[in-house]
Amino acid sequence: MRVVRGCGVGFGVCLGALADAEPISEDMQMSRHTRRAFGAAAILGLASVLGASSLSAQQKTIKVGITLPLTGADAEDAIRMKYGAMMAIDDANAQGGVGGYKIEVITLDSGTATAGQYDPAQAATNTKKLVADPMVVANIGPQMSGEGKAMTPILSEADLATITPSSTNPDITDPKMAGQFKPKGRAIYFRTVTTDAFQGPNMANFFTANLKVKSIYVLDDSGAYGVGIADSFQRQAEKNGIKVLGRDQLNPKEADYTTILTKIKGLKPDAIYYGGVAQAGVKLAKQAYDIVPDMIKGGGDGVHGGSFLTGGGFPAVEGWYSTIAGPHLTEDPAVAEWVKKYTQKSGKIPDDYAITAYDGALVVLDAIKRVAESGKPVTRSNVRDAMQTTNLKTLQGVVAFDENGDIKDRTVSVFQYKRNPGYPEDDVVHQQVYLGPAPQS
Amino acid sequence: MDHWDVLLQQVINGVSLGAMYALLALGFTMVYGIIELINFAHFNVFMVGSFIAMWLMQTMGIVGQSHVLYGLPLIGLLLFVLAVTMLATGTLGALIERYGLRALRGVSGPAPMITTIGISYILFNIILLTTGADSKNYSNPMPNVRWEIGGAVLRLREVLLWAIAIALMAALHYFVRRTKMGKAMQATAQDQEAARMVGVDVDSIVVTTFFIGSALAGAAGLIFGLYYNYTSFIIGYTAGLRAFTAAVLGGIGNIPGAMLGGVVIGLIESLGGQYLAVRWTDVIIFSILVLVLVFRPAGLFGSAAPSKS
Repeated sequence: MRVVRGCGVGFGVCLGALADAEPISEDMQMSRHTRRAFGAAAILGLASVLGASSLSAQQKTIKVGITLPLTGADAEDAIRMKYGAMMAIDDANAQGGVGGYKIEVITLDSGTATAGQYDPAQAATNTKKLVADPMVVANIGPQMSGEGKAMTPILSEADLATITPSSTNPDITDPKMAGQFKPKGRAIYFRTVTTDAFQGPNMANFFTANLKVKSIYVLDDSGAYGVGIADSFQRQAEKNGIKVLGRDQLNPKEADYTTILTKIKGLKPDAIYYGGVAQAGVKLAKQAYDIVPDMIKGGGDGVHGGSFLTGGGFPAVEGWYSTIAGPHLTEDPAVAEWVKKYTQKSGKIPDDYAITAYDGALVVLDAIKRVAESGKPVTRSNVRDAMQTTNLKTLQGVVAFDENGDIKDRTVSVFQYKRNPGYPEDDVVHQQVYLGPAPQS
Repeated sequence: MDHWDVLLQQVINGVSLGAMYALLALGFTMVYGIIELINFAHFNVFMVGSFIAMWLMQTMGIVGQSHVLYGLPLIGLLLFVLAVTMLATGTLGALIERYGLRALRGVSGPAPMITTIGISYILFNIILLTTGADSKNYSNPMPNVRWEIGGAVLRLREVLLWAIAIALMAALHYFVRRTKMGKAMQATAQDQEAARMVGVDVDSIVVTTFFIGSALAGAAGLIFGLYYNYTSFIIGYTAGLRAFTAAVLGGIGNIPGAMLGGVVIGLIESLGGQYLAVRWTDVIIFSILVLVLVFRPAGLFGSAAPSKS
């Protein structure tokens, strides 16, 4: 068999492989099996000379990118996502690859020192790097919508699909904004989470129905994700009759938010909603704990999970509400085995977006497999088409996409930080309580 | 909280911010006064200071905000941490001068300034690569004591910040005005050559200036951490740039000017945020800077070294 494998690449390699194979065939005492292998080798060698590229491709590896902000304020969560995606790919490789392919991963860091968190410019640079390598057929990432907005025009041009485990800004997949984010028209931005078109508004419903909030102050961190989710939250809150007393923007590099919090304290709203990620969120939580300790405070998935929890710490984060743009799974008995395996492998406790990253990698692997098995060449374009028609059972249930690349399931789950002394302070699973799905509009 | 309470609270916030900027601005202004160099490494000496103080408290068993001290142990611990941090960052500043900048002294053009930017980046990346980039939950042993003044709140940490800042600035003022070393420093600022002629050891004056400026930055770093319960490798830039602005606003080279400039910037930041919008803070601060420089090029309070350009 080894002879056959070595051969497909080309005639020269084939001869080398034949020579290589001789000692083995002696071991096997030149059985009929080996002779047949020689015959097959000759045929395959000939076939590859004639240019049967699909046969030759079977012997190769193909590449999948992972682009996440692995340094910076978002790293804590991004690393969990990376482990999730890597687990799916390592498992597939351990079982001999998918559709005959070994998957090689190219990991690129989209966080930079100057930004201190994710950096859209770096994400764009990374995407160009992936596009330049013809072996790359799909990408997993990004974490943040700000990265996604910088990546999509380049991805669209190259017909290279990506799948994000956590980026929720709805503009990116909105058909009205296709000219900006998918100029070539085909969906290249798939998600294993829903968007802020549901995450923000559903949380506004939760604030109205469950928390009985009558007035609110809305903040964002001036990032693509933060502004988007705060806007959609605010619109739904106003629709629900909540009085919005003000809206302001935080500079994430600024250390001092006492000014804005003092202003908010003077206005006496029932609650603060913060659209944004950990870099500003951590400081906001700490200073809000000092200045407006009793006010209801909440945010989206930007304040859910490791970076916000470890940076903010208790008692500052106590009582904060957060959401994720998907179902809550890590405490589901059905994934207990997976959680155990993940923890053994990475030394970290997975959060829900580690699972959506794992699911995202499964979608990519499944698409590659279906393309390979259909006999079509495994190209970016074909992998993208296969991802579009995904109908795959994953940890979060069956994943399927609409024509824009958005996941069909639109669950938004609500959590609240609550100190649980039985577990370490930075345990992302046990330091927040799952309150249930947010009411759909 | 009525309108006046909010105003009072914003003034408290602004003065606290200003005290921190002032401590940082002193380092810029002193170095500029002596050798006419804008020292951008100062930004990140401040940042390193906040980390040194945090590590020190962590080795003493104070992690996060769970371990609270009162009375004498609290004061003793804070003074000890303050002293060690100032010594450490002061030494760092002196080393930067001795091995990074002395060889470039007298070189005209931007070479020394670019070198300080390089050193700044080195410090920045050392902290980034050794500690990681996430926000750090700062060690803080202070109890959450607060006093209500009407609807405004004055917290222990604000009082402490003001106390440390005022004490350090008073000490600096005394040092510069009254001690022999301080007078030598003033002489060097006025005319290096003439000072050398009357027997002032200019090299040791310059290195002392770096030591003192950096020690004050270290103090500001500790205060920053205690005030916000937070530090990160990235804190140097925003605070450093504002402090530099404070130094220019007060008249660069002018020590009391830097202190007042710091407080002015702090108040602009808090009151601008209250009555306009927080997102416009930087625009307001830097517009005022431009206006001041257009109409009063020597800063609000003038340059303290009038004999030089």
